[in-house]
Amino acid sequence: MTPMARDDERLLVARLRAGDTGAFDEVYDAYRARVFAFLLRMTRNKAVAEDLLDEAWLRLVRHAPRLLPDTSLGSWLFTVARNLYWNHRRDSLVRDASASELLTLWPSPAPWPSPFDLAAAGELERRVERALSRLSPQYREVVLLVAHEGLTPAEAAVVCGISAEALRQRLSRARAALAGELRHTPVVATLKKRYAV
Amino acid sequence: MTTHDERDHDEQDDRSLAAVASLRTYDVAQRRSRHLRTRCHAVLAAQARPARSTRSAEMIAAFFRRVVGPVVGGAWCLAYLVEMIRRAAAISGLPH
Repeated sequence: MTPMARDDERLLVARLRAGDTGAFDEVYDAYRARVFAFLLRMTRNKAVAEDLLDEAWLRLVRHAPRLLPDTSLGSWLFTVARNLYWNHRRDSLVRDASASELLTLWPSPAPWPSPFDLAAAGELERRVERALSRLSPQYREVVLLVAHEGLTPAEAAVVCGISAEALRQRLSRARAALAGELRHTPVVATLKKRYAV
Repeated sequence: MTTHDERDHDEQDDRSLAAVASLRTYDVAQRRSRHLRTRCHAVLAAQARPARSTRSAEMIAAFFRRVVGPVVGGAWCLAYLVEMIRRAAAISGLPH
């Protein structure tokens, strides 16, 4: 799941515990966009996602001296981000908005897709984002964590605070729900061509 | 539902997940990102400072506990003993 090797991560954790800002920068560059994208798709509100992202990183640095040596930073960050989202949702009773705001946001700078790619993917992406936004937050988070962030089901179960078996069942239902949302659109046919499956 | 239908649905589910996997990753604006990085650096630095001063305070305390304390205590005991012997000698009329 993580963009860094396990040994590198242990070293980073040790440096973070010692208050090394260079180690923080490495973690920040590796996970900032991923955690932000996760929060953005969960909240579907850019301002809220930015605030929660700030809080997640500040929690990491405040907690840094107490990190366990074998901490998986990705799982730790996604767990905090997820908990912040649910706390926010409980506190403010966020109502679902349309996914259109998401599509006006700037993409991550690298790798930059060509204008042709953008045009071809635009409609497809819009449909998938819309289908994703129609899922319940419980389903959406497992789909995002496993499919988009590449967490293993076991890691996603830890992040969501449920058993691996419960996660597996929830993921299965979420997949079916997502496919159901997409079934009545031409997206599946487009995907068939695009991924040649 | 037939086995064929089930397989069809499974494939459709997999394609849906593949579509989610291919969604782009968004990032915060560079200015905000820089600001957050600076805040986090400041927190780390602030945490490191007390840690360093606590460590030096602990070293000084250990030095007093292990060296200064026993030396002062020993010297006081020695002076007390010498004075006791000197006074006892004076009382008993021994030369001192």
